[in-house]
Amino acid sequence: MDHHPHSTAGPRELQMARSMCWHCQSEVAGEYFCDRCVKVQPVSKELDYFTCLGFPRRLTIDQHQLEAKFYELSRAFHPDFYQNKSAAEQTISLGNSAMLNTAYRTLRDPIERAEYLLDLEAGSVKQIRNSPPADLFEEILELQDTLNEYRAVERTSATESTLRTKLQSERNMLEQRQRDMEAALQQLFVQWDALQDRGEATSQARAERDRILKEMREHLSNRTYVKNIVSDLVSTIG
Amino acid sequence: MAYSDKVVDHFTNPRNMGSFKKDEEGVGTGMVGAPECGDVMKLQIKVQNDMIVDAKFKTFGCGSAIASSSLATEWLKGKTIEEAQKIKNTDIVQELNLPPVKIHCSVLAEDAIKAALADYQKKADGILADAK
Repeated sequence: MDHHPHSTAGPRELQMARSMCWHCQSEVAGEYFCDRCVKVQPVSKELDYFTCLGFPRRLTIDQHQLEAKFYELSRAFHPDFYQNKSAAEQTISLGNSAMLNTAYRTLRDPIERAEYLLDLEAGSVKQIRNSPPADLFEEILELQDTLNEYRAVERTSATESTLRTKLQSERNMLEQRQRDMEAALQQLFVQWDALQDRGEATSQARAERDRILKEMREHLSNRTYVKNIVSDLVSTIG
Repeated sequence: MAYSDKVVDHFTNPRNMGSFKKDEEGVGTGMVGAPECGDVMKLQIKVQNDMIVDAKFKTFGCGSAIASSSLATEWLKGKTIEEAQKIKNTDIVQELNLPPVKIHCSVLAEDAIKAALADYQKKADGILADAK
């Protein structure tokens, strides 16, 4: 047996390397089915969704490829195909299908994908608490006052139409801001992927990584705030 | 999920809604947000001789967030700075009977209290430093 006292492999890798087929005990290294006995293998709950679907931890994902992989695995794990199999296999098929669905739902949407990646990667960045965007908050609270005013005002009055015009222009501005944030996020996604592709372990690369994650967190949060007030605007002024 | 009577009461009849001027003497402002749900909370205290004589809030968020901040302002009034530091989100959860999914609203309210107190302290220290 090899001893690697300085091995950098985390518990996740070790677990993967050690895993055995639950049925015939032959080695399975993360495959969905055992090479020897062809039994379905449980997808470990420890696995991240990227690995589960066989994608690298990148933020730009080809939607068609993702969908194709999802359908392929859905068919492979679908409980319908396990009705005549053992109870153990039926349980695995159910568990894998549930995990697969969650993984696909998460990775399908670019924003959720990024939120998820941040969760996975945040470890060292979590300490970096972004200070709340005070100006944006003030703006949102002020806008909320105007919204309340609008809700209370008499319909078809002059005040109503003035307020409505004001809210409408606020809405346009905020929607533009949301688009800008999404464009900025898109750029950060590209930067993240490029950094991962380079695979450098320098301190410079680490600093770059932390910067990208921090900015991503900031844009994602601010986008949520803006999105919320926009949806309030839309539901109030239509 | 139904809101408790107390939440509904604070939500439909919020106490101390509004704001003070940020740079007014003795005013501390706490501005916090929950990026997960997009709620925004502003809580302000007005302090005279170490006593919170008035408190106001503005919250953009769900009923529980509004109720939590409304309750917080009620509790803050008449407390000393030291007493105010001791308000815990769990007290709010208990008083409003918040379900587990709404506990983060009470956390936000506690954060807002802490931020307002810290802002007041910072301003007070600044004035002291200037006087020296």
